[in-house]
Amino acid sequence: MTQSRKNALPLTQSQSLMWTGQKLNPESPLYNVIHTFDFTGAFHVSNFQRAFQELIDRVDVFRTVFFEEEDVPYQSVLDVYAYEMDFLDFSSKSKDFLNHFIKERSQEVLDLHKPLFDAILIKMSEQRHVWYLNIHHVITDATSSTIIYDVIADLYKQITQGEALNVENAPAFSSYVQFEKTQNTANVSDAKSYWEEKIGALSTVPIFYGKQRKQYTSVSKRISFKLGVKLSKQLKELAKDPSIRGFTEHLTLFNIFSSLLFVFIYRISGQQTIAIGAPSHNRPTKRFKETAGLFIEIFPLLASLSEDDTFNSVLQRAKIESNGFLKNAQAGLADAATSRSFNVILNYINARFSDLEGLEMKSKWIHPGHCDPAHQLRCHIDDFDASGDIEIHFDLNQDVFDDELTKKVPNHFLALVSAFVADINQNIHQPTLIGLEEKTEFLSQFQNNVPTFIPIIRKFKDTAQLKKEATALVFQGKELSYEQLDQKSNQLAHYLRKKGIAKGDRVALYFQRTPEYIISVLAVLKIGGTFIPIPSDQTIKRLSFIVNDSNSAVLITNMDISNKDVDVPIIPLSDLIAVISKEKVEELPISVNTMDPAYMIYTSGSTGTPKGVLIPHAAIANYLNWAENAYAHQDPYIFPLCTSIGFDLTITATFLPLLTGGQLVVYKESAQGPDIAIMEVLEENVVNSIKLTPSHLHLLAGKDVSHSNIKTMIVGGEDFKTSLANKIQTIFGADLRIFNEYGPTEATVGCIVSKFDARSHLNASVPIGKPIAHMHAYVLDSHKNLVPKGVAGVLYLGGIGLASGYANASESTSKKFLADPFIEGARMYETGDLVRINKPGEFEFLGRVDEQVKLRGYRIELEDIEANLISHATVENCSVVVLEKEKVIPENEVINCMECGLPSNYPETDFNEQGVCHICTAFRGYKEKAQQYFKTKKDLVEILSKKRTENSSYDCLSLLSGGKDSTYVLAQLIGMGLKVLAFTLDNGYISDQAKANVDRIVSKLRVDHIYGTTEYMNKIFVDSLHRHQNVCNGCFKTIYTLSTQIALEKQIPFVVTGLSRGQFFETRLTEELFWDEKVDAAQIDRTILEARKLYHQEEDAVKSLLDVSMFEKEDTFEKVQFVDFYRYSDVSLEEMLRYLEEKVGWVRPTDTGRSTNCLINQLGIYVHKKQKGYSNYSFPYSWDVRMGHKTRTETLDEINEVIDEGEVKRIMSEIGYSEPAEEALHSELLVGYYTGSQKVSSKELSAHLKKELPEYMIPQLFKHLEELPLTSNGKIDKSVLRKLNAAQLEMDTPYIAPRGEIEELLAAIWSEVLKIKQVGVHDNFISLGGHSLAAIQTTARINEELEIELPLNKVFEFPTVEQYSAYIENTLIELLQ
Amino acid sequence: MEEKIVAFVNDQISSNQTDEKIEAQDDLLGGGILDSLGMMRLISFIETEFGIKVPPEDMTIENFINIETITGYISSK
Repeated sequence: MTQSRKNALPLTQSQSLMWTGQKLNPESPLYNVIHTFDFTGAFHVSNFQRAFQELIDRVDVFRTVFFEEEDVPYQSVLDVYAYEMDFLDFSSKSKDFLNHFIKERSQEVLDLHKPLFDAILIKMSEQRHVWYLNIHHVITDATSSTIIYDVIADLYKQITQGEALNVENAPAFSSYVQFEKTQNTANVSDAKSYWEEKIGALSTVPIFYGKQRKQYTSVSKRISFKLGVKLSKQLKELAKDPSIRGFTEHLTLFNIFSSLLFVFIYRISGQQTIAIGAPSHNRPTKRFKETAGLFIEIFPLLASLSEDDTFNSVLQRAKIESNGFLKNAQAGLADAATSRSFNVILNYINARFSDLEGLEMKSKWIHPGHCDPAHQLRCHIDDFDASGDIEIHFDLNQDVFDDELTKKVPNHFLALVSAFVADINQNIHQPTLIGLEEKTEFLSQFQNNVPTFIPIIRKFKDTAQLKKEATALVFQGKELSYEQLDQKSNQLAHYLRKKGIAKGDRVALYFQRTPEYIISVLAVLKIGGTFIPIPSDQTIKRLSFIVNDSNSAVLITNMDISNKDVDVPIIPLSDLIAVISKEKVEELPISVNTMDPAYMIYTSGSTGTPKGVLIPHAAIANYLNWAENAYAHQDPYIFPLCTSIGFDLTITATFLPLLTGGQLVVYKESAQGPDIAIMEVLEENVVNSIKLTPSHLHLLAGKDVSHSNIKTMIVGGEDFKTSLANKIQTIFGADLRIFNEYGPTEATVGCIVSKFDARSHLNASVPIGKPIAHMHAYVLDSHKNLVPKGVAGVLYLGGIGLASGYANASESTSKKFLADPFIEGARMYETGDLVRINKPGEFEFLGRVDEQVKLRGYRIELEDIEANLISHATVENCSVVVLEKEKVIPENEVINCMECGLPSNYPETDFNEQGVCHICTAFRGYKEKAQQYFKTKKDLVEILSKKRTENSSYDCLSLLSGGKDSTYVLAQLIGMGLKVLAFTLDNGYISDQAKANVDRIVSKLRVDHIYGTTEYMNKIFVDSLHRHQNVCNGCFKTIYTLSTQIALEKQIPFVVTGLSRGQFFETRLTEELFWDEKVDAAQIDRTILEARKLYHQEEDAVKSLLDVSMFEKEDTFEKVQFVDFYRYSDVSLEEMLRYLEEKVGWVRPTDTGRSTNCLINQLGIYVHKKQKGYSNYSFPYSWDVRMGHKTRTETLDEINEVIDEGEVKRIMSEIGYSEPAEEALHSELLVGYYTGSQKVSSKELSAHLKKELPEYMIPQLFKHLEELPLTSNGKIDKSVLRKLNAAQLEMDTPYIAPRGEIEELLAAIWSEVLKIKQVGVHDNFISLGGHSLAAIQTTARINEELEIELPLNKVFEFPTVEQYSAYIENTLIELLQ
Repeated sequence: MEEKIVAFVNDQISSNQTDEKIEAQDDLLGGGILDSLGMMRLISFIETEFGIKVPPEDMTIENFINIETITGYISSK
């Protein structure tokens, strides 16, 4: 075909995408656009055949061929192409033959190098003919189909009527190819950025019905259905509403269907931001409207949906969205990036076929059974034959939509269409997607009959009767037979009855795990009471709370507590052995009813206050009855009692063996330290069954368990990762049966269970399984509609196992226990857990609703991240959390202390009822004492002239900023007759007026003066901004450093500062210094000097850039001493200003902020305010007010001064400071904690996660821990993990919680002083922001607490809690010796 | 202003098969002169030609039903 290549043209953007698509799927007929036209009436076969050849001659796409040169595809048009259309006669064939034939024929893949169509004419009968036309999508689209049909209809008509052919050649597609290349560029760049922005807003494509795609297939099934004339008409009526309509009826219908599809996708995926690809017909001119060819391009429509949306609110946004879509859908802009943004297509077809020369025609659009694999769901809306009945076709990718779902999709979508028509203003969650049939089918799996009720204590008695001699209980090698256990509990029951305990009474059991606990449980049940298990590690405070809250009649215990601790009578079992053993051993009559509470367990709950969950007898009986059979193996159960008795997980082990004739082996927890009884269980190796949490299992993962007798393992309490299950299965061997049991305390121990199966459980977490006997489980959305199978929703539980509610918390009870919408009169419990039901009907746990995290607008399931993190080879266990953010008080809620003006958003402030801050309150307590620190001017003169020698040229160096305070100092020093050298740091930002002040002052006072400078000033500013969020710290330190250098050089013994009294309290006179009875000023001076030495050791820009070698020498601090002028002088502001005006001619500069002489200062204030919420001057000024040197109003005026942001930004770029991104400042930090044999680099972990997860789900930080902190119930303690701060996480040390009293004390002091929530024993004091002031505070507090005298610098010498406590311990030992 | 718009509609985007000129009060959309994509082309033309921005919220029938309302809308910007 050399001839054709002459006029070769490149492919359009859209053609290229399809060309590539076909190349990627060479065997798949995914781009076959097939129509059949079914004609009824007298049909002229030869006329039609001739018309078709005439059509080929006139419409160039029929003569278009493709070829490649150096891998680049081109197209060209053949001058002529003679085509013999097949004519087949099916008139003798069966009815279905045509359909089969078409189905088969539609599978033929067209050869890209030949004209890309296939046409056949089929005779069905004399009166019925079918034309089959298949054209490759790369040269056609829906509009083309109608153009082609119109042309052939005209030709056929003219041929049939015997007229001369008068049908023009259709315009050539080549002109569009040219047009696309030469698109008007100005508008295109706008449109381009429009699409870039749209795509940028997207994260991932939605997952439908929870089905992750597994294979890449183009196989897709088309489901077609008509809306019906009535519904179609209603929609069209609705489309006329002025508040709804768009430019045209078609556009309005398009908007309606896009809204419906958005809602549909949202409801079946849970994804909020959704993109739908929609073809733009893209025929911008009259001429192109008549041209056949591939014009359409697919662009995304976006919507973000939320809980509060109504159909109408979505529609209103869809309307605006489609306007933007149409305006920016310009030729040639759809590319691979736009295509990747969606997996749903909405194809609203606005094209129709008319009749053929008086013949009735019915067209059919044939789906070849394949489509673009990226288009998992396509929804076509059409009315090709203009029947007024809208037809919807869903093309469903068969990898994602199995047969079951393919059946459901139309019903779910139709449910929304009907709801939309019924009430456009209803919430998008309101209509249920689930039809009656589906609902009935779902609910049929649950048992509704009431089981026979046998109270557990009756069951125990029966077992004890049968197994009198058999061992029931084992503890530390001693055994109790069933008969003994029965009799002992009878004796205690008799004793309790004597003490007045009766049926219905609540009895608190505060115990270590011992046989006495089990005896007590049985005894309480025997008298018809309710037991409340309280584990030994509970604090007295919590114990006392539970005893009171539960209204317990008595407390039975083997712990050492006294009557002072609790308000109820105590029965100390250990003291009463002799007494109780004299009681009768005969049994008591048992009478309990189904709803009588058997026990009550306190759960922590998210609110913090524990709540007592009341479990009725019927509930626990149902669970244990079920468990007896479900977990049964050939041998009687031997369970260990090895987990916390306050955890309802332990109920299984407590009763199951004793009710079934098995054995309970009791393992007592150690009095101190973590409960590691599980290790003992493993070592002793006498049990055959065990129940524990996944976190417990992690402890076992490294042990040799090859000889373990454990054959049944029940895991509960936490999400159970498949990787862990596999590991456990491997080390224990195939004999071990592992059950994953799910159940909140409120639904009695366990109510959904699965047996782990390594072959079928391939997702990250082991499914929680299916509901147990007589329990119901529903997955509902926010409107309490059942969600379709596979879709995530909240789990609600119903059935006999529900708790009766919370004790003394009717509000919580009615909030969590709701009316069951499916069973009249029944209740259901809202678990707050997110779940979905997988294909085999198992429930899968997805996470907690309240732990569902929204980061930067994305909803994140932390479990997802954990599952992927744990799949890294080195990671053994992990936990991903979002760090607790500092509570930011919104600006309009900030109050200022009524006395000093300190804002309430200053960290760790407390305001009393009068609105006075805690610092003011505390200061009142030591203000008087603090006065002893101050001295007189006479003292000052004495000090400063003390070191005067013959050859010294100056008595002191006076630091002069040019401000009022330092100017006053200088003038006063001169006035005292001292020889003074004035020193000013020129930081590059002193204002002109301030500089003029300085120059005027020094000349007027006739004093020698030097300006100090450093080339590193800007670097120091930047460092100070990063470190302290202000510029002043860096500037001050530079001044101290440079002035010390000069003083050393010139042998000046004193440097006099102009620090205000407020600044003393701000920076050095902490409250702790005045804790001692007598104020020892010399001691304070020593401490301050010590702190100053430490101050110069801090690793900052000043230390690294300036010469600070002199600070390493001890004698520097003797050679040059710092003296604070205002320690010796107390002058009021008015007096100072009057003096300055009269004597010095000082003028307040007007070219800087009020608080300063320095132009860069406002940059510091700006940064500080922005990052910390309050001005860096708030705190020092509050001290000025406290000292009486400023009024509250002045302070507030100054700290609220307007900042010139333009100027601030200019200076920022001048000094080279780049602000942290807004997002980085305020966004929450996602952190992945993990354990494993070694640390893995964050880079590697990120890369590992990125293989599976989108960017926004990758933790910003990873932290290796030796072990994850656990709660006493053996679950990962996420609250601890959430409290670490960024600095702690960045440290190269694992987090370890403090151990022992001294470490705990230190950690507590550090966290108070450093204002951080949690301190680990390896955390470094300096890295946590500990500086000299903090060192003063911590040391003073430690000294106070331990009544010792530790020197200040030790905290820098031993900068971790671990090291420092070791140091303290050694010191204490030395002191004792 | 009106002339420029009329010329653009007639020459570039009208679906009218005849060569009839459109009038200021002709219903551009209901009258079948423009489809929604044509309307968007017109809006883009107006934006470039008259230097205004038409936000998607303003793209309503009320503003764009005929040449008269369109000129009114442009003048109001």
